[in-house]
Amino acid sequence: MFPDWMQGAPNQFDTVLVANRGEIAVRVLRAVKEAGLRAVAVYSEPDSESLHVEIADEAILLPEGPLSENYLNQEAIIEAAKSSGSGAIHPGYGFLSERADFARAVSSNDIVWIGPGAESIEVMGDKISARSRMISSGVPVIPGDEVSIPEDGGHLGPLAVAAAKVGYPLLLKASAGGGGKGMRVVREPKMLRTEYEAAAREAAAAFGDGTVYVERLLTGARHVEIQVLSDSRGNCIHLNERDCSLQRRHQKVIEEAPSPAVSGLVRESMGKAAVMAAKAVNYVGAGTVEFLLSSKGEFYFLEMNTRLQVEHPVTEMITGVDLVQKQLEIAAGLEMGISQEEVTISGHAIEARIYAEDATRGFLPAIGRLSTWIAPSGPGIRVDSGVRQGDEVTVNFDPMLAKLVVHAPTRKAAIRRLDSALSNFVALGVVTNIGFLRNAASHPAFLSGDITTDLLDSSDISEFSDPDPPAQTLVSIAEAALRMGLDKANHGVPGNPVDEHTGHSGDPFRTLSRSYP
Amino acid sequence: MEWSVGENQEIYSVVLSNDGEAMSLSSLTKDGNEMVAPNLQISSDDFPGRIVVVTEGTPKFAHVARVGDDWWIHLDGRVHVVRGHEKGGQKGQDSDSGLTAPMPGTILEVLVKEGQRVREGQTLMVMEAMKMEHKIQAPGGGEVSLIHFREGERVDMGSVLIELAD
Repeated sequence: MFPDWMQGAPNQFDTVLVANRGEIAVRVLRAVKEAGLRAVAVYSEPDSESLHVEIADEAILLPEGPLSENYLNQEAIIEAAKSSGSGAIHPGYGFLSERADFARAVSSNDIVWIGPGAESIEVMGDKISARSRMISSGVPVIPGDEVSIPEDGGHLGPLAVAAAKVGYPLLLKASAGGGGKGMRVVREPKMLRTEYEAAAREAAAAFGDGTVYVERLLTGARHVEIQVLSDSRGNCIHLNERDCSLQRRHQKVIEEAPSPAVSGLVRESMGKAAVMAAKAVNYVGAGTVEFLLSSKGEFYFLEMNTRLQVEHPVTEMITGVDLVQKQLEIAAGLEMGISQEEVTISGHAIEARIYAEDATRGFLPAIGRLSTWIAPSGPGIRVDSGVRQGDEVTVNFDPMLAKLVVHAPTRKAAIRRLDSALSNFVALGVVTNIGFLRNAASHPAFLSGDITTDLLDSSDISEFSDPDPPAQTLVSIAEAALRMGLDKANHGVPGNPVDEHTGHSGDPFRTLSRSYP
Repeated sequence: MEWSVGENQEIYSVVLSNDGEAMSLSSLTKDGNEMVAPNLQISSDDFPGRIVVVTEGTPKFAHVARVGDDWWIHLDGRVHVVRGHEKGGQKGQDSDSGLTAPMPGTILEVLVKEGQRVREGQTLMVMEAMKMEHKIQAPGGGEVSLIHFREGERVDMGSVLIELAD
């Protein structure tokens, strides 16, 4: 049975397999169900009790072992799609989302690929081909060069030459990198070898490729990206910008829309450049064109992410467009049904990424059991979470637990709402960055909107430190909690039954009666 | 139980008195010295893991969770860890000058040799955890007295990696 909205679509499907895990799998599976379709999850053994498995209509276990055996195992995922009768596959972000060979394999098995064509992924996925395509299409790019280093990495001559040409300080990136992995800043020539070796190792561990790309490091620039949407009928629009300037080690921390640094004029020309970039690769679906915006208002193409972004909710909040629903419609071959003129900006949205990491110890990833996890709620507050109370946070995956998104009429009001929501976010048992996010969101530079990508890395960390703890109150609370025996009663939230034998709230046979924030 | 807050070394002990439904703070010592106890009442709440704290007449909610001997406390929008110590236990159990693995992971590189003198902030080892690299750096100057792991070896969280002597 196809839902009403899909009637008459060229590529109909009634079941969607989501080839991902964590918060994005939860987000997409929910959208699939809302759209009146069957939602199929895949999972690896350690994830068998995770939230995305629970909310799916059907969940299929992938082989045990490293990621290559499960979440990156193309054959197993396509097999799972076939056995579950899935007519379409949504890749989420990360994992197989930007693998052209996977997109091709999905299509050749007569399964609808919810994403752009393999050729678009290929051109944009390779930094050098993306760059030359952008240059020939008239999209401005940053000075840079790609270098191929032999397997053993013994001879760095070509890299040194390219580095000298580009100029220091420079950014060394693994060609297939992303998400801050395999990316290093080189400030002077003598650091080139050390940083190259570190980047190559990180990249090889995460992506299985060791080619590098050098690029001039623009200090004091902002990271501004444009959301684009194209259908297969030749319509292409942009949905305004997101400002992702608040970063730590090139990993986004807080994102917002609209950008406090983008004027109507810049928005229009950036939007046009993004649409041009998408059209240059015959893009279909939802994608993001990333730009660096200099303090003078010039912008340069960084890269295009040929998938849904982590921070897509801020765009959804200000435009009212459900991007995942649009992805489904576009994949079904329908017209996207929204014109550039209909895209508006309503209020201001901010997203804060909740990571399991210790800001006071160099942002080390943290592990443990989430003995308490109470997400905030209320008007203008959205939490996209991949975890729930009782879940174990392990070293196996990315440390992002959830995204807190707030929406308010103005930027100032959104910042106040963010702080209040972060204060009401209770996560105990695992160290999170929630306190750090509060400190960052109350930093004068963030309040004024004057953020550059190097703010967190160039500031003294004490500027973001926590206030002194109220020690006398805290030790009294600990003593009282011990005397009240709260350690025995604290295994669940109301309506969240605890297994009497194990004391765990994660009893797999009781999960259906549980409710989640 | 005696308590310390986060990484702070001060040891507190607390005496509470039962005051009907609530408990009141009656006395408090810090490192054995009596302090002026603030006006503080604590009572239980129907919501599991939550208690009501009244400081100087203002009620607030606190969420608490026990992990081992520690209590994780969410108060005023901040999370704190209060560590429990057995009464009369050894105070200040620093891992001496040993450097421990902050995360489970793999040793990628050992940059120093036993007997080598190092300065503060010098990178001693590089380890990989959760697909990211972390540098293990000397907290102060000294001589490397023992190296416990070699490149490629897996380490558990808290394993002593390397020891420094003055």
